[in-house]
Amino acid sequence: MATHILSSTARSGFGSRLHSVATCRLPLARSQLPHRISAIRVQSTTAQDTTAPEQYDVVIVGGGIAGSALACALASGKASSTQKIGLIEAFDLSSHAKWSPRPDQYSNRVSSLTPKSVAFLKKIGVWAELDPSRVAEMEGMQVWDGVSGARITFDAANATSTRSSFLHQVLSTSGLIGNPAADLEYRDSSFNDGSDIKSSPLAWMTENLHVQYGLQKQILGHQERGVKLDIFERTKVQGITVKQAYPTDADVSAPAGSTAADVSDWPVIELDNGKKLQARLLVGADGVNSPVRSFASIESLGWDYQQFGLVATLKVDHLTSTAPGNGVGIAWQRFLPTGPIALLPLNNGFASLVWSTTPKIAQDLKKLPASDFCVLVNAAFSASPAELEYLYKNIGPDGQPLVDFQQETEWRAGVQDMEAFRTAFGSSRTDAKPPKVIEVQENTRAPFPLRMRNSNSYVEDRVALVGDAAHTVHPLAGQGLNQGLADVECLARVIEQGLLSGSDIGNIHSLTPYSSERFLPNLAMLGTVDKLSKLYNTDLSPIVWARSLGLTAVDSMGPIKTEIMRFAMGLEDAPHSNRS
Amino acid sequence: MLSRTLAQSSTKPLFLAPRMTQCATLFSFRSPLQPPTERLYEGHVPISPFQRTLLAVGSAFAALHNPHRGDMIAALGESTGGIFLRRIRDQMLKDPEGRRILRERPKITSESMQLDKLRQLPDGIFGREYVRFLDDQQVSPDTREPVHFVDDEELAYVMQRYRETHDFYHTLTGLPVTVDAEIGLKWFEMVQTGLPMTVLSSFFGPLRLSSQERERLFNIYVPWALENGSNAKSLMSVRWEDWMERSVEEVQRELCVKPCPQV
Ligand SMILES: Cc1cc2nc3c(=O)[nH]c(=O)nc-3n(C[C@H](O)[C@H](O)[C@H](O)COP(=O)(O)OP(=O)(O)OC[C@H]3O[C@@H](n4cnc5c(N)ncnc54)[C@H](O)[C@@H]3O)c2cc1C
Repeated sequence: MATHILSSTARSGFGSRLHSVATCRLPLARSQLPHRISAIRVQSTTAQDTTAPEQYDVVIVGGGIAGSALACALASGKASSTQKIGLIEAFDLSSHAKWSPRPDQYSNRVSSLTPKSVAFLKKIGVWAELDPSRVAEMEGMQVWDGVSGARITFDAANATSTRSSFLHQVLSTSGLIGNPAADLEYRDSSFNDGSDIKSSPLAWMTENLHVQYGLQKQILGHQERGVKLDIFERTKVQGITVKQAYPTDADVSAPAGSTAADVSDWPVIELDNGKKLQARLLVGADGVNSPVRSFASIESLGWDYQQFGLVATLKVDHLTSTAPGNGVGIAWQRFLPTGPIALLPLNNGFASLVWSTTPKIAQDLKKLPASDFCVLVNAAFSASPAELEYLYKNIGPDGQPLVDFQQETEWRAGVQDMEAFRTAFGSSRTDAKPPKVIEVQENTRAPFPLRMRNSNSYVEDRVALVGDAAHTVHPLAGQGLNQGLADVECLARVIEQGLLSGSDIGNIHSLTPYSSERFLPNLAMLGTVDKLSKLYNTDLSPIVWARSLGLTAVDSMGPIKTEIMRFAMGLEDAPHSNRS
Repeated sequence: MLSRTLAQSSTKPLFLAPRMTQCATLFSFRSPLQPPTERLYEGHVPISPFQRTLLAVGSAFAALHNPHRGDMIAALGESTGGIFLRRIRDQMLKDPEGRRILRERPKITSESMQLDKLRQLPDGIFGREYVRFLDDQQVSPDTREPVHFVDDEELAYVMQRYRETHDFYHTLTGLPVTVDAEIGLKWFEMVQTGLPMTVLSSFFGPLRLSSQERERLFNIYVPWALENGSNAKSLMSVRWEDWMERSVEEVQRELCVKPCPQV
């Protein structure tokens, strides 16, 4: 299997000046791939290059949340904490530990963490580091169709109304769900603070920076107590190579428990500060354009949505919401033909916006004066798509509105309210309204390109991928980071078990359980989210009608709704193959 | 206008029974025999889905049988037009002139149009040709059938406006009021708006034509309608009242409508 990661150049390179160090294969230049992965520089090291690489058991490339969480998880495992671990990050990591935000300001990158993710963060000691005043509990969700008005509502009671759900029972009797023990494990450990699962919120909202803060604090703690965890920050991985090519295509993977001397197939990671690391196991936690994935020649298929996700930190007026409890702790999401817009609850009257829309509109929204931007966000949660189209069209090239947004939207809101008030059709009359946005925090509007990617495999010999490096998903269900944390939890567990059973943790056979446990659930989530995004990205009448019928039906069917909730909360894994 | 309608109808019970508010979802399981709303505007007749279907089918046959039953053609359009009216309204909302119409809700009457003043305009000017058409046909803007069956106040206005502006189309296109030319005009509207009434009558209509009329319809009017219906600016977003003093050619040019070849 080791030959998989070696290029044909390398194999034919015997006798050439490449004989001692084989370069890695050029990253995926195959033209049929929809997206080329940005190439890392391929190092053709010559024989006079003498710096010996430092050996590590695990090298993690990428200190995003997934990579840092893996470092933390390994450092807190009984066996894995005895390993020598390296974590490489292109940007700053240590400054996260000194994060001291102002109470009246929130970062624009916020994620929803599912109960499963929170359980994991508790297990690795990160949750306790967080400041509860900056973690908001999401108690309910209102999701509706901007074209037809069909709506579905969720609250924590839905999700926990049946402890072992219908789907779970069917799947477990048919043997499709393996590992119920692991299922229970996180359930039990997550609520060891005595709170019953029944009172659990749907999710917890907090800033990505806040999670990073907790992670880096823990990492520092582990370092202090002597765990060999080396951080290489503000340095980029420049090239990844394998020392020696095997002349044969046969499976020559090293036997479990191979001696330390047998490092010939361990990848060498070269940093742009000249440092070289050699890893028994190389983990790619390096995001959507993963250099590690390119090195391992793992294909990643998918597409770019013609959408950007515009994020922003908002201030809302809860008194304007008609939801129970003034809509505090409720997430609002409306599907517009241009993409979904979501208002996610933070504490103290703050909220986080994720507005998926066309690249052009996203750019225009960014330039719009703050007050007009707020008007438009409010309209996006209430006005008809036709009305919104008119408003988008009236953002001038300099970002100034060409018409009076306030006046135009007030007029339409008046007409709409009257219509809703007088007609039995049209559900808006009884539907709860989200709180009005009154302010947007300065410099928080930022657009991100939205993509969908899935790697053909999460493991290769000596390589594993986690987080966005393995899979990237549309943010409409707020699952990307949660999937990444589930990967990390699983990989750390697989490594721990491998170490306890004395196997070579970089060997593909030791890594396969990770891949088989995570691949299908991630794929199921990607597929579901992608289909949802496509289903709602139209205003074609028959489709709107069918999806509204579906949504309305699901909304009135308790058990199915429970299923969806549990899946989204990470309480229910999609069917995955049994681990051997 | 808005407030007037509100005031008028507020004397009637506006609030719906609680039973109705409960099933205010998109797909409510209410009896199809029950009208869904209270009276929404002057002249509004709330009808049940069942009645609506009957009305649509019945008026289609009545209109077919006697194309001069204007009330039946009108009823047909109203009873089937819900989503299509919405579509026209949305088209209007995206257009500045269309929005102004929706906001101000102008009415076309002999008074508002000041027909006598239009008669003084020189030949070839839109307003002059428009009155000439009215005079030739011996009709007046005031003889339009009011809207009865549309369950939404704003959409009822859109329907009303659609009817009120029909005569301008004749002036614009130069189409006569013969049955085949009317059907040709319906094809034009179908392409422009997708109103089911026009869809229905463009398919039903030809059945009652002589072979000569039929030939004219399919060789001249329909090709013209298909081309111009898709090229032209959305005519429902035209504030005709403001265009009266321009020449017919200018109006045609600006709205991207070629006059129909005359026979
Ligand atoms: C608008 C938006 C909203 C979202 N909302 C949610 C949500 O509500 N809930 C949720 O669960 N998820 C959400 N997500 C998804 C979530 O943000 C991502 O899934 C998550 O941040 C991915 O984390 P990661 O650690 O896998 O990758 P990243 O955060 O991309 O980390 C990769 C790291 O690798 C480093 N790196 C890359 N290349 C190199 C190199 N050559 N050398 C050294 N270092 C390198 C990078 O600097 C980076 O720090 C959202 C995403 C978007 C775009």
